[in-house]
Amino acid sequence: MLEFAARQAVRLAVGLVGAVLVAALISAIAEPHAHGLSPYLTAAARRLLSFARLDFGRSAITGLPAFGEIARRAPSTLLTVAAGGCVALAVGLPLGLLFSIEAIRRAASPLMQIVTALPVFCAGLALAYGAFRLLHWPVSVNTPVNGPLAPDQAFRFAALPVLTVGLAGAAAVQLALRRAASQSSGESFRVGLRRLGLGAFEIERAYVVPQVIAGLVSSAGEIVLALLSATVVAEWVFHLPGAADLFVKSVALNDWNMTAIVLFLFAALAFVADFFGRVAGFVLANEASG
Amino acid sequence: MSAAGEAQSLLRTASRATGWTGLGLVAVAVFLADFLARAPAGATGIGRMLEAPSEAHLFGTDLLGRDVLSETLHGLSETAIHAFVGAMIAILVGSLFGAVAGRFPRPLAAVLRSLFGVFASVPALFLTILAIGLTARFYAPIMAGLAAAPLAFVRAFDRVDTGSTHAEYAKATGIAATTLLRRDLTYEFRGNFAAAAARALAAVAIILSTASFLGFGAEPPARDLGLMIAAAKTSYLAAWWTAAFPALALLVLVLCARLAAGLEEGERP
Repeated sequence: MLEFAARQAVRLAVGLVGAVLVAALISAIAEPHAHGLSPYLTAAARRLLSFARLDFGRSAITGLPAFGEIARRAPSTLLTVAAGGCVALAVGLPLGLLFSIEAIRRAASPLMQIVTALPVFCAGLALAYGAFRLLHWPVSVNTPVNGPLAPDQAFRFAALPVLTVGLAGAAAVQLALRRAASQSSGESFRVGLRRLGLGAFEIERAYVVPQVIAGLVSSAGEIVLALLSATVVAEWVFHLPGAADLFVKSVALNDWNMTAIVLFLFAALAFVADFFGRVAGFVLANEASG
Repeated sequence: MSAAGEAQSLLRTASRATGWTGLGLVAVAVFLADFLARAPAGATGIGRMLEAPSEAHLFGTDLLGRDVLSETLHGLSETAIHAFVGAMIAILVGSLFGAVAGRFPRPLAAVLRSLFGVFASVPALFLTILAIGLTARFYAPIMAGLAAAPLAFVRAFDRVDTGSTHAEYAKATGIAATTLLRRDLTYEFRGNFAAAAARALAAVAIILSTASFLGFGAEPPARDLGLMIAAAKTSYLAAWWTAAFPALALLVLVLCARLAAGLEEGERP
């Protein structure tokens, strides 16, 4: 157990160090007089030292500290990711369980292939169209929402991006669950437990379900990656002023300090989720197998 | 093989055949786009503004009176060609290099695996946007291919690395490293190249069109499907056809590539 956790910790550390290096290299572009390889690398080293002092430079657009900007924008993004994650679990778990039954999966396969082939931005626009036409909801695809909103209005504006992110995550959740279920269905312990006199339900409850949950938890990194990618698109489609939207605008306006810190934040989220998912999945799988 | 296994295998074969047939039809549409389209790319005033689908304009017209069917064909052509270029780069830099790197001496292989692993853990869309921001929108297909490469590298590397016990035996029996590498690559790509190419095509088509939608892809007057859908954002709530048909064309391209690659439902291309 400890050896596995240590290996994963090294992996996490390598990932985080790599992300910091990439962030420093990006941030160094913003430094004046960093033309040519040697001055550029010197500037990158200077940026690394600044990062160590938690100085992430200033935004070229607003002139404010980059850290302050990200601290202002990140909560909205994290909220979207978290709420999207809940939707992903609520939709993906039953779907994954349902599709682990081969006959149902075969019947639903054509529809699922079509749905999962739809790019996230198309899904977001389709959801907005449906909400606008069928539910007569106000949608923010063309104009940003400004000012304080009544709770029901706020819910309507937040629901569509969350649903977009959640559906993108649900595809990853159902796949992780289905793979874990199919892996455990081939395990030899089933036959052994049957011979020991355990009923099918008991085997599923006590042995298979924990293994499947462990498989799902191990895929946390992959699921978070899907949620983060979808959040970039959802924030752009629905005019949400989050960190992902900030990333797109920063790159467009060559605000490299801002770009570096947002990229680092997203990479760190993915690495940390992957680390905890793998370790928790390993622990759960070990406990399940006794 | 059991009946269920046979049915599953048949379904997989049928689904791959459907995917390749679809990609073939897309290729035909791309080659004949100029002939099939009723208007040249970007030609305005072909019909009235935001005309609904009718016999005169099967897919309707957009805000500038452009024929949406013609524009969709041109956009599909642009997207498919760029995605193909990007897919080839992803295969070369990702799959091929990954398979070769799996045979490098241990420390170098481990460093490369870690390096590509870091990039594979960042959403490919972020990398594409960043790379295009650092260069120019003209290079979008190359950048999308490079952004899709780390994941392809990691997959190919891990496949070669986990099945590497035979390399020890080969070394012990005196087979040269280059011969082993050549044989490994032949084995890796002989049956797999088409599927790997289709997988990369699906990945790059999604990345490219999304980058275009966000304003980092095709440069006007050239328009790909992502840019067409982005332009339709202002009108599609009242005129659904302006976004629906380009989105449908993109869906067909990605779906066919996914089916041809034999991806499972929801699997990341």
